[in-house]
Amino acid sequence: MRSNEVTLQQENGQPLDKESEVQDTPVPPAIPFYIECSEAAQAQLFNECEEQFAQLEMLQNEIILAEPDSDENPQEQSVNRLMAVAAELKQWQKRQPELLSTNPEVLLVVGAEELQKLNSQLELVLSCSQAKRDTLRETLKRDQKWLEKKKEVLRAGTEHVVKQRLENERLSEHSVLQDTKKKIQKMKDYQNRLMETLADVLAEHFPLPTQETNADKKEKNIPQELNENLISLNEVLELLMNTTLETPHDPYVSIDETFWPPYTEMLLRHGIAQRHPEDCFKIRLETFY
Amino acid sequence: MSLLKPFSKLPGLNTANILLVENEEQFQQKLADTVVLQEKTVNVNVRLARSLPLPMENEESRPRIDLVVFIIHLTSELSFQSAETSLKYLDPGYFQGKVCFLVTSARNVSVPPERLVSVRTLAASLHCPLLCAEDQTTEGVTTAARRLLAILKVAAGLVPMATGLYLSTLTRCTVPSDIDQQNFE
Repeated sequence: MRSNEVTLQQENGQPLDKESEVQDTPVPPAIPFYIECSEAAQAQLFNECEEQFAQLEMLQNEIILAEPDSDENPQEQSVNRLMAVAAELKQWQKRQPELLSTNPEVLLVVGAEELQKLNSQLELVLSCSQAKRDTLRETLKRDQKWLEKKKEVLRAGTEHVVKQRLENERLSEHSVLQDTKKKIQKMKDYQNRLMETLADVLAEHFPLPTQETNADKKEKNIPQELNENLISLNEVLELLMNTTLETPHDPYVSIDETFWPPYTEMLLRHGIAQRHPEDCFKIRLETFY
Repeated sequence: MSLLKPFSKLPGLNTANILLVENEEQFQQKLADTVVLQEKTVNVNVRLARSLPLPMENEESRPRIDLVVFIIHLTSELSFQSAETSLKYLDPGYFQGKVCFLVTSARNVSVPPERLVSVRTLAASLHCPLLCAEDQTTEGVTTAARRLLAILKVAAGLVPMATGLYLSTLTRCTVPSDIDQQNFE
């Protein structure tokens, strides 16, 4: 190297295998521009160029002379192409890598230029791959979120399935039967309670007439036909209800002396019972359904 | 036959010559200006023509053409036909990497799709690259110019280690049925 030239600086780039983790690579030192070349080197380069051009002219003349006047159909190029490609291949195989020139100055300038070109191209590649990496990261994040959502849905779904299965086992036939029996039992209890309450109410408010109440009215000489087997209002109502339920085609009950007439009259008047349209001694429970 | 021959003249130093063939003569001017503006390091000469064969008067002064670009507007059938007839006046040597097809209005809805398919089959049969360009915006013109310059530089031999033949093999146009077949394989 000549002393009047600037020395090349060493490049201190990051090692390539860590490239992906480094966010901002430090800017490598700039490659210096070499424009000046000494006269002697330029002259040598010129001579080399002249030699090359002379060779080119020679080849060109050879080509012109060897030009075939082919009238081929331009559409059928495959054979020509094949031959040309094969010839080119042979040339490439024969060719040896050779220096551009033997002058070190020239090599230096050319080398620097090439390195700069390469540098700019690599910077392009770097920015391109960084952009790609960023988009990939975005895609990855989005896909991970999506995956999370789907996993949650799956979890909810399986939980639901498990619950349903348990429900199903719980609600087997046996348990349904049990439930229905319980319900029936409850209804029966309710009905019993109602009947008991009804009996209590009736007993309290609608008692059968006793001897004592008529004792005061002895003077009036109203013939009392007590001591007959008067049945209580409760029993009358029960009789009517049972008849309606058991023999719906003939819900009529005949009135006989066991019914105390004022009570029957009361039932009739309040719309709880109804006479038979033809026979005035028959009554039945009013249709309430 | 006045064929245009690829290697009949000496190449110029650091020069590349491109010939734009277009029947309508509207896009070539814009493209030519942009191409010349874009390229700074290489001497680019752009020659415009309506169709081949080129007039005989210029035969001597014309430099060696490195790349012939056929500009086809898909909106008119005439464009395609004129390009097809011009193809006959090209020496077969051109089809090994020195011819390129440029198509405009490929996205236009009013264009019948068969036209693009026929252009593609033509380009595929000739093993030439097919570029699609957008000629209405400056950006589209600039992009098309850059791409043409890239191909031109290779065809003129200004790119070390790459030849026109090699590039055209890499960038050759495929017809949709070819692609389907490849997918099946």
